Amino acid sequence: MSILLDETNRILVQGITGHMGTFFVTDARRYGTQVIAGVSPGRGGASVDGVPVFNSVATACKETGADTAMVFVPPAAVQGATIESIEAGCRLVVATADELPVRDAIEIRAAARAYNARFVGPNSPGLISPGKAKMGFMPSFCYRRGDVGVISRSGSLSYEACKRLTLAGIGQTTVVGIGGDPVKGTTAAEALELFHADPETRAVLYLGEIGGSEEAAVAAYAARVDAKPVAALIVGATAPPGKKMGHAAALVGSHADSHEAKTRMLKHAGVQVAAGVSDVVKSTQAALAAARN
Amino acid sequence: MMILEYEAKDLLRSAGVAVPDGSVIRPGARALQAAARRIDSYPVAVKAQVRSGGRGKQGGVTRANDVAQLRAAAKRLFATTFGDEQPAALLADPWLVIDRELYLSVTVDGAAEGYVVLYSPRGGVDIESGAPPVRYPIGVPWRFRTHELRAILEPVEKDFQVRERVIALAQRLVETAAARDCTTIEINPLARLASGELVALDAKVVYDEWGHFRNRDIAEQRAGIRRRADRLLKACLDMQHMYVRLDGDIGLISGGAGMTMAAMDMIRRYGGRPACFFDCSPGPTSTRGYRPAIAMLDADPQVKVILVSIFGGGTQMQRVATAMKENMPMRRSGKPVVFRLDGTHVDQVPGILATFGARNHDCLEDAVREAVKLARRA
Repeated sequence: MSILLDETNRILVQGITGHMGTFFVTDARRYGTQVIAGVSPGRGGASVDGVPVFNSVATACKETGADTAMVFVPPAAVQGATIESIEAGCRLVVATADELPVRDAIEIRAAARAYNARFVGPNSPGLISPGKAKMGFMPSFCYRRGDVGVISRSGSLSYEACKRLTLAGIGQTTVVGIGGDPVKGTTAAEALELFHADPETRAVLYLGEIGGSEEAAVAAYAARVDAKPVAALIVGATAPPGKKMGHAAALVGSHADSHEAKTRMLKHAGVQVAAGVSDVVKSTQAALAAARN
Repeated sequence: MMILEYEAKDLLRSAGVAVPDGSVIRPGARALQAAARRIDSYPVAVKAQVRSGGRGKQGGVTRANDVAQLRAAAKRLFATTFGDEQPAALLADPWLVIDRELYLSVTVDGAAEGYVVLYSPRGGVDIESGAPPVRYPIGVPWRFRTHELRAILEPVEKDFQVRERVIALAQRLVETAAARDCTTIEINPLARLASGELVALDAKVVYDEWGHFRNRDIAEQRAGIRRRADRLLKACLDMQHMYVRLDGDIGLISGGAGMTMAAMDMIRRYGGRPACFFDCSPGPTSTRGYRPAIAMLDADPQVKVILVSIFGGGTQMQRVATAMKENMPMRRSGKPVVFRLDGTHVDQVPGILATFGARNHDCLEDAVREAVKLARRA
């Protein structure tokens, strides 16, 4: 199995007539993803690559049975578009956009909660369940089907790490990009719960960085008696304190945010912590070995 | 994006928060003259307007008892640098007699799924060393309830009048943070005067820069950062590149915050030192996009080698390689460049790099090892 996304998700694309939307339709369908509708207000009746375009999400859902939304609209329009999909009944809504004001992410998260929907993003590469479906621009060749669940705060780092896993013969159930912003649609804690409940996932690889409190949640999960084995990589050992490293949340404000404190906390909780990206395979193998016992 | 104290106080004043009635003094004799005429009551607190923390501990706040002391303080503070920052202005606030210093802030917190209010009955410069502030997690701004905050304050704030004033103030700060795209509004100290009134003696406001499309103040702050940047950095900021200068000699051009940090960490693991955090992923992957990044590292005397490490999904590698090929003839330095490109369409990369005599490293370890070796030799 996988979490959140598989071959049964019926996906609509908001902003389908834009550059990113069009590219996504081709790339995702080639991977086997069911992209069945597009939404672009004012362009209803058109089609993109054979996919029908509607003026609203509600109409698209009614006409096509779409239950999942991929959002490619400019930052200023993300909050409106995302909440439209949530309120139209989509169970999963993915918005990869960066440059989203945190105020808007707070509102989207609250809306998703109220409607019992799952929001993934913002500032995220999206997610992929290898061999089944993808919602994002990740390079498909980096992934293969398997039994490790991957959670990442960073897109490019998840490509790099998953390519290394795949080359070593370690496949993935689902790879979720939770994003680099402080307020997330799906947190590490929530993604861990989903992987915990997924019978096919035997171990989890967490890719984190300095700043923020996600790593504390990972440590709390790993310390549970019924936890699945967890491996982790935390980047930013060389980042100076007080400087934002690209991601809004990647900033060492206090000692607790630092690379050293996070690694120590994770190790203490029994997590296999990789010393660098070079050791991701080794740490994941150790977690899988623990899962066998 | 942190703003200056006097700007933060203007924002608070517009939200109905009491702040001292201070005067902003710009650099220059004439501005000082005008300020001296305007200030009619002493003593005043003269405060350097800088973004760097620890200003008080570096002598950035001083008391002036008369106009002569004001002039002396202004002369000294304008000549001082705090961190690497020279004061853009000074703020002369009336010196208030304080009964007690409190701490109040509203900030965005992932664990709270949004805004959180922090309060401590003992504020001031040593806030870090005392008991941690109490926390009221709200999440969405319209979830604020006065009775919930009251229940949290009751055990720590015994003075009910202060408590009620703090609750009213906190609600205003939450509304302001949400409406004006602030990720932090911190008042430390919040002073209780003998009259019982609460006044914001200092203020720190951090704007969410992505609110720029709906907030003119944020758009102007962003423009200000660009104005203050030198020509080369400005060109990079115009391309949406994110740059943080570090003290090493390997100029890293990378894509994605996580991968950039992973490469920085690996450079150190192999015995080298990164010269920067340079995330070029948000900008265009065209010749135009990478040109200013390469130009800036070429011009930086601290940089001995350039390492281009990009793993792209949406960013297509043949485009990055072509951009590099077009940029090479325009360079003004012969610093070596090491490449490691991987991701979408990487199969086309070696051919493109070969046209200008470069080669692509298959894995990051090889590229980093090569860059460290070249930096040592340079």
